Amino acid sequence: MSEFGPTVKAFLHQLILAIFVVIWLIPIYTMVINGLKSEFDVTSTPVFIPPLHPSLTAFAAVWSQLDVPLLNSVIVVIPVSLVATFIGAMAAYYFYLLSVSKRRSLNFMSNTIFSLIALATFMPYQAVIIPLTRIEANWGLLNTYGGAIFAFILFYIPTAALLMSMFMAVLPRDIIDAARIDGSGDLRTFFRIVVPLTIPGIISTLIFNVIEMWNNFFIPLVLFNVAKQTLIPVAVESFTGGYGTLYNESFAAAFLASIIPLLIFIFLGRYFIRGLVTLGTGGKGAV
Amino acid sequence: MATLEGRSRLRSILNKAALVLPTAALSIILLYLVLWNLYYSFTNWSLFHSIPEFVGLLSYAQAMSTVFFRSSFVHSLELSGGLILVGNLMGMLLAGLLYFVRSSKLRTVYLSIFIAPLAISMAVNGVIWLWLYNLQIGIDWLLVRLSLPALPWLSSTSTAFPSMFIVAVWAYSGLAVLFYLGSFMGVDKSLIEAAKMDGVGTFKTFFRVLLPNSYQGVIVATALLFLFSFKIFSLPFVLSGGPTNVSLQTIVVYMYYLYTTEFFAQSTAIATLVTAIAAAVVIPFALLGLRRWVRRE
Repeated sequence: MSEFGPTVKAFLHQLILAIFVVIWLIPIYTMVINGLKSEFDVTSTPVFIPPLHPSLTAFAAVWSQLDVPLLNSVIVVIPVSLVATFIGAMAAYYFYLLSVSKRRSLNFMSNTIFSLIALATFMPYQAVIIPLTRIEANWGLLNTYGGAIFAFILFYIPTAALLMSMFMAVLPRDIIDAARIDGSGDLRTFFRIVVPLTIPGIISTLIFNVIEMWNNFFIPLVLFNVAKQTLIPVAVESFTGGYGTLYNESFAAAFLASIIPLLIFIFLGRYFIRGLVTLGTGGKGAV
Repeated sequence: MATLEGRSRLRSILNKAALVLPTAALSIILLYLVLWNLYYSFTNWSLFHSIPEFVGLLSYAQAMSTVFFRSSFVHSLELSGGLILVGNLMGMLLAGLLYFVRSSKLRTVYLSIFIAPLAISMAVNGVIWLWLYNLQIGIDWLLVRLSLPALPWLSSTSTAFPSMFIVAVWAYSGLAVLFYLGSFMGVDKSLIEAAKMDGVGTFKTFFRVLLPNSYQGVIVATALLFLFSFKIFSLPFVLSGGPTNVSLQTIVVYMYYLYTTEFFAQSTAIATLVTAIAAAVVIPFALLGLRRWVRRE
């Protein structure tokens, strides 16, 4: 590489990186600018040109169909991700106790459960949709908060348990042992010692689950069949086109559906990324 | 004394039960759902046979003999295989570029931009790309301005699937970038310094030092790209406006299509097949990869 001077090389490095960054940002950029276009702009400009006459008419037009789904998503996703993280963390502490135990049978059991939890996390959850909808239909849970909550709890507690058991692998053993010798029960140890020591892991798990649940399209698609009562990702899909849909409305709907996960990603993204890293490597190789 | 010991033992068992029971109960329900699928996959349950009868492997044979099955299965393999290949290459390239960024703050910002598509719903990503692929106002508008040939994107059967593949690469490559960068950052800094001292160029350092020490990046990126791409549903669904477009159908979409047309037994047969394939990848990954990496502490 001697034919290039270091300045040229540094410039090329920056340039290539910049090209990729711009390409990656274009879809998000179009989502942000096009919702702000007026009807005139829509008919006269392509999606790459910023609005000439910014207006909120598109947002006003889609709001009446998205307000209930947005509220539904908040009502379902926030409490469920809190509960799932908490229950998953409790199970993760149980696995921790199993894995530090000296008995081989317990170790084997811990391996088996760990595989099952991993399978439940990564399995295409769409595969169990028929039995799930049958059960929910029998219980009268279709088109209800309860039905969505049940499905999300079912599919995301394994993710929480898997993530938390990897975050707990680094718990200092002597502290836990000391607490247990003192006669503190396992539940008390969990609340008094384990939870405070794993707060960063708990936040990561929580953020990861909020984003994943918020963005889930398939579960509300099959559990809700009344357009106005569904969750936000399915509500947005009704703005994909057909004749008469203006693209500013599609993008306004897309923007409204993404604003919460995007804000979380911008301000707390490192927790989401830590969740991803942990899913892949058990927490090693963190950036 | 014995009763006291017995009581504390009981308390310990109750404590442990309280910790694990909620998750265990839900896991058992999940397992029950999988077994339910398995059971009904051996019947002929459908709109025409509302009382299921045991028919052995007939539903598997029927579900797997259709044109839809073949094309959707091939699409899933192409999507997963292609994403593993292209995703890994993008991961190496972009992580390599990021590794040599001096400012760690800037590096984090760039990395976040590559991961950002994963924080947005794939359904929303589909809505955005539908308009980017619009023949008048989308990417074609740019291509025409640059005097390049316009492409038919989603509106032609020959370019529809590659168009969806591009969206998948944009959406999922960030995963590979993340794990490769993690591996690169884990390579001993003294090796890099030594290479620098010996006057080894950046490219050689990348190929001779960084890549050979990043086997974990390859394994993790490949496993996660497969597991994420194998269950892609929203992209084909949104990009084709439903589950019936043959040129974009993946295996999960085909399963959903069988379900909506009330071929329940055939749908459970495909569901069982999908679960088995996922299990074949997840269990070794969990036991050999995740578990060992957790224990190494």
